[in-house]
Amino acid sequence: MDRMKKLLSALLLAALSPALLLAAGSLTKEQMVDLLKGIDQRVKSPGDYKSLVYIEQREKDKPDVAREALVYRRDLDQKLMILFTKPKTEAGKGYLRVDRNLWYYDPTVGKWERRTDRERIAGTDSRRQDFDQSNLAGEYDPAFIAEEKLGNFAVWHLKLTGKPGQDLAYPLVEFWVDQATGNHLKRQDFALSGKLMRTSYSPKWQKVYSETKQGEVWFPQEIRIFDEIDKANSTLVLIQSVDLQALPENIFTKAWLETKSR
Amino acid sequence: MKQLILIALRNLISHRRRSLMLGGAIAGVTALLVFLGCLSSGVRRSMLESATTVATGHLNVGGFYKVTAGQSAPLVIDYPKVRSIIEKTLPDVAFVAPRGRGWARLVSDEGSMQTGIAGVDLKNEPMLPKVLKMLEGNLQDLAKPGHVLIFASQAKKLKVKTGDSMVYSVLTDRGVNNTVDVRVCGVAEDMGLMTSWNTFLSRETLARLDQTNDSVTGALLIYLKDMKRIPEDMDLLRKALTAEGHIVMDHSNKAFWMKMPEVNREEWTGQKLDITTWEDEISYVSWTLQAIDGLSFLLTSVLLIIIAVGIMNSLWIAIRERTREIGTLRAIGMRRWRVMVMFVIETFCLGALGTTAGAFLGCLVALGLNALAIPVPEGAQFFTMSSTLQFSLDPGRILGGAVVITLCCTAVSLIPSFKAARMRPVTAISHVG
Repeated sequence: MDRMKKLLSALLLAALSPALLLAAGSLTKEQMVDLLKGIDQRVKSPGDYKSLVYIEQREKDKPDVAREALVYRRDLDQKLMILFTKPKTEAGKGYLRVDRNLWYYDPTVGKWERRTDRERIAGTDSRRQDFDQSNLAGEYDPAFIAEEKLGNFAVWHLKLTGKPGQDLAYPLVEFWVDQATGNHLKRQDFALSGKLMRTSYSPKWQKVYSETKQGEVWFPQEIRIFDEIDKANSTLVLIQSVDLQALPENIFTKAWLETKSR
Repeated sequence: MKQLILIALRNLISHRRRSLMLGGAIAGVTALLVFLGCLSSGVRRSMLESATTVATGHLNVGGFYKVTAGQSAPLVIDYPKVRSIIEKTLPDVAFVAPRGRGWARLVSDEGSMQTGIAGVDLKNEPMLPKVLKMLEGNLQDLAKPGHVLIFASQAKKLKVKTGDSMVYSVLTDRGVNNTVDVRVCGVAEDMGLMTSWNTFLSRETLARLDQTNDSVTGALLIYLKDMKRIPEDMDLLRKALTAEGHIVMDHSNKAFWMKMPEVNREEWTGQKLDITTWEDEISYVSWTLQAIDGLSFLLTSVLLIIIAVGIMNSLWIAIRERTREIGTLRAIGMRRWRVMVMFVIETFCLGALGTTAGAFLGCLVALGLNALAIPVPEGAQFFTMSSTLQFSLDPGRILGGAVVITLCCTAVSLIPSFKAARMRPVTAISHVG
């Protein structure tokens, strides 16, 4: 008799759970996918994109290193260039992505080196993805974790699992999305082993109007990245200005970066 | 000839002070050359010992695997087949050790460092227990999954000891971040530059970190019974692997990791094998040997020039002092060439005695310092490849050095001896001075 009662209770709970979750502020799979598509769409810039970025790196037992860089993007062709302008020792160094290959140029040796697409930018905790367009909906399958409070913000807490066949630096990501604006405020990246690798916060978001998009392009003004393995390390990325004017045609070439490096 | 030798020796004894000064200088230079030669041989021996334990076999079959043109990994796919070709082809293989190669960030609670990883299977590595000197812990625990062996300088930097936990963090060859938790199974004594950044992990744990399967390894380390066969075996292996359909890279005397930027620039995908020698794999540290040898050569050359000038001067003085004696000898019938040979033999005897004494002295100092096992400061270990000062006596090298110095001294005496032999007997006998 007891077993019967338990079975009935379980069936009842299973039947009522979607309703309970909704009442608690849950999202359906479709809603989560739409949310991710929304995030991708908000930061998407169909035309050209140029931003001035300040990167500050903090490492244990080492002096802080501050860098300034110009980031150029042409999302339609998936092109990206990062050109360091400060300090003097770093000026002229740069990354160029051509056809899924990331190249690194160091003017002191005058050579191009092919690097992995997921490498740390200039040895910091930032990755190419932090400066590039977003494709969360294409790369990850979302799962709902909870509706939470992140400081004063009401957020959706999602768990994103890499889709099969996608080449991803972090196969598992936890994401906190602001319910009011749809911007993500916090992100945690996990290694294949399930270990937490880094936590990043994007508390401030800005928007600029794009003629090409006929709409607004959003960008995080500030990204704070904390290394969760080497706990003393952190990186601050400040996107100081964004310009959506058309860039010269020949900008995404090795020759252009080399001329800027001289 | 016996008479000439006797005259030369008596002459050396009668001018004791001059002979002692010149002989002492020759002995000093020889001792320095021998001492530096022993140091160079000691460093070479330490280098061979540490390199062939930590980083390389006598011969290696490594290679690169490229999933895409832009991403290479130091991997040998389906290594059992390559291993069987090696064992079939080479007649004098002592053993073959498949070893994983990796590069990752090792993080402790107190610090972190980039390290090279040697993924080892202890049952395939009979040399490791013989060469690694454990300061603490147990090397055999390295056979257990999730255990790491580190070296003293690394333990100091990471502030860890046996039993402590750490994390390896890596971007795998497929571009996915991965980690593995490890426990320190032991700390071994430093062995120079190579052990400052190399760590040992079980092959299984490295495979878990790098997400590779059982048939994949970093390189096959080949240990030969006779190292003199290395060039011959290298050729045999190249032909055999090519005949079996493998693509073998052109020989380049660089360590595998120094080739990665070049390989990444090349537009190919798949597997290419690379055959290297132990000297190729440590080419980035062999400059220390060249530096010691260069320094020995420079010092010896400068000192030899000074000695040559001294020998010439003293011979000129001797000839001047013995002009009447030369005249008399010529007058009683001694031929010119015998006069010349008399002076040459004198210098040869001086050189031979000086270099023999110098070689003994150099060997004694080197052996004495070796016995004292003088610890080398951490910074200098990059050059000495060992935590204590190591000297090694190489008889061929010592004998060669002594012979060269003796011959140099003898050659220098030819001009004054020739001049002495050309004196006219009448002029020589009537010489006053």
